[in-house]
Amino acid sequence: MIDKKRILEEGLLELYLTEELSEELTIAVEETLEKDKELKEHFDALEADFERMGMEQAIAPPNAIKVRLKNAINQTEATKTNWVPLSIAAGFALIFGLSTFWLYVKWQGAESNLSTLQSQTSQLQRKMDNLESEFRLTSNRFESINNPDVVPLVLYGNQKAPNGKAVAYVNHKSHLVLVNPKGLPTLPKDKTYQMWSDVNGEMINMGTLRTDNELVPLKYIENAESLNITIEPAGGSDHPTVEELVSYVIL
Amino acid sequence: MKNSFEDHEVITRLISGDETALYQLYDKYSGALFGVILRMCRDKIKAEDLLQETFVKIWKNIEAYDASKGRFYTWAYRIARNTTLNSIRKKNKLIQTDDLSVYDIKEVNEEETDYTALKGSIKTLEPHHQKAITLVYYSGYTHKQAHKKMGVPLGTFKSYIKQALKQLRETYSEKLIYIWFVLELMP
Repeated sequence: MIDKKRILEEGLLELYLTEELSEELTIAVEETLEKDKELKEHFDALEADFERMGMEQAIAPPNAIKVRLKNAINQTEATKTNWVPLSIAAGFALIFGLSTFWLYVKWQGAESNLSTLQSQTSQLQRKMDNLESEFRLTSNRFESINNPDVVPLVLYGNQKAPNGKAVAYVNHKSHLVLVNPKGLPTLPKDKTYQMWSDVNGEMINMGTLRTDNELVPLKYIENAESLNITIEPAGGSDHPTVEELVSYVIL
Repeated sequence: MKNSFEDHEVITRLISGDETALYQLYDKYSGALFGVILRMCRDKIKAEDLLQETFVKIWKNIEAYDASKGRFYTWAYRIARNTTLNSIRKKNKLIQTDDLSVYDIKEVNEEETDYTALKGSIKTLEPHHQKAITLVYYSGYTHKQAHKKMGVPLGTFKSYIKQALKQLRETYSEKLIYIWFVLELMP
């Protein structure tokens, strides 16, 4: 609260009227005004003079301004009252947005599941194809071995291949020879096993024997008296190296 | 005091959201406020926009008005004055070097804007009183800026304002007596 005398002497009411006082002084002046009836009357008179002066200095604005003001107020009114439908719309938009997002996530999940399933299916398909071809191969081999026309012959290794063993399946009817060389000892890279048929004392080439295959098809030679296996340089020879005879069997 | 009671009823309606109350206040005060705004900004088109802006602010902030602290006109005058000063400051922000330069720029156009000249009882005041009233109430100067502008001490300037307002009150009273006298003479 400030002393009334000070307020009047320092012209604080005039400054209060035009909002020129600090916040602190404003509060103090307002307090005094509230309590001092005489000062309040003084301020009322000042305000009345000020208003009268304002009225005397009035300049009539164009009528259009009132119309513009009405439009502006209606617009603010519209924005005020439009909050309810707007918030409902916003709510719907939010729900729609969230459900769209949820569906999108679900869709993405389904997409990735689908592609996983597709790749698994194609993997399974490939495995099945492999199994099928392996089965066909195996059953072919089995058929070509397990046949009443086939004569199985065991070729035991001599001192050059101790404990070595190869099995030859000879079908005289269909002229097919299949040999399982898996039981033969592994050779260095520059060597290979080769098989020969003895026809009237002459050795005829049947083909080389790769030990990494389970069944090697070889050439069938008519009137063969025995089958012989020799060790030859890699790629095979035209004539057998007799000193390198590993095994033989009489037909 | 009749004035304030009338306003009180209209303002109560305005607070409750009655648009017509705003237009009623507009009809009563727009001239006085336009007089203030136009004399301060000295640009008719701009002043029209600012008058509209002032009444939109009144509409939006009427709940902040406290009738026990003063008249509606005083409150509306402050809004109009601040709105106008802000607009002038914004406009001159780039070229302004200090607070007072705003007014220097305005003075360049003073010649062509004579429609904003003061009228009525103020013109009967002594020139230095007229000048003091104009600076504080119709040019947007604070008392501190205005006394520097007039080149007199702040205390002297404050007494100019007091004396000017006192003289104006006396003029108004004389006018009232004259009107009363004329009315009495009428048959």
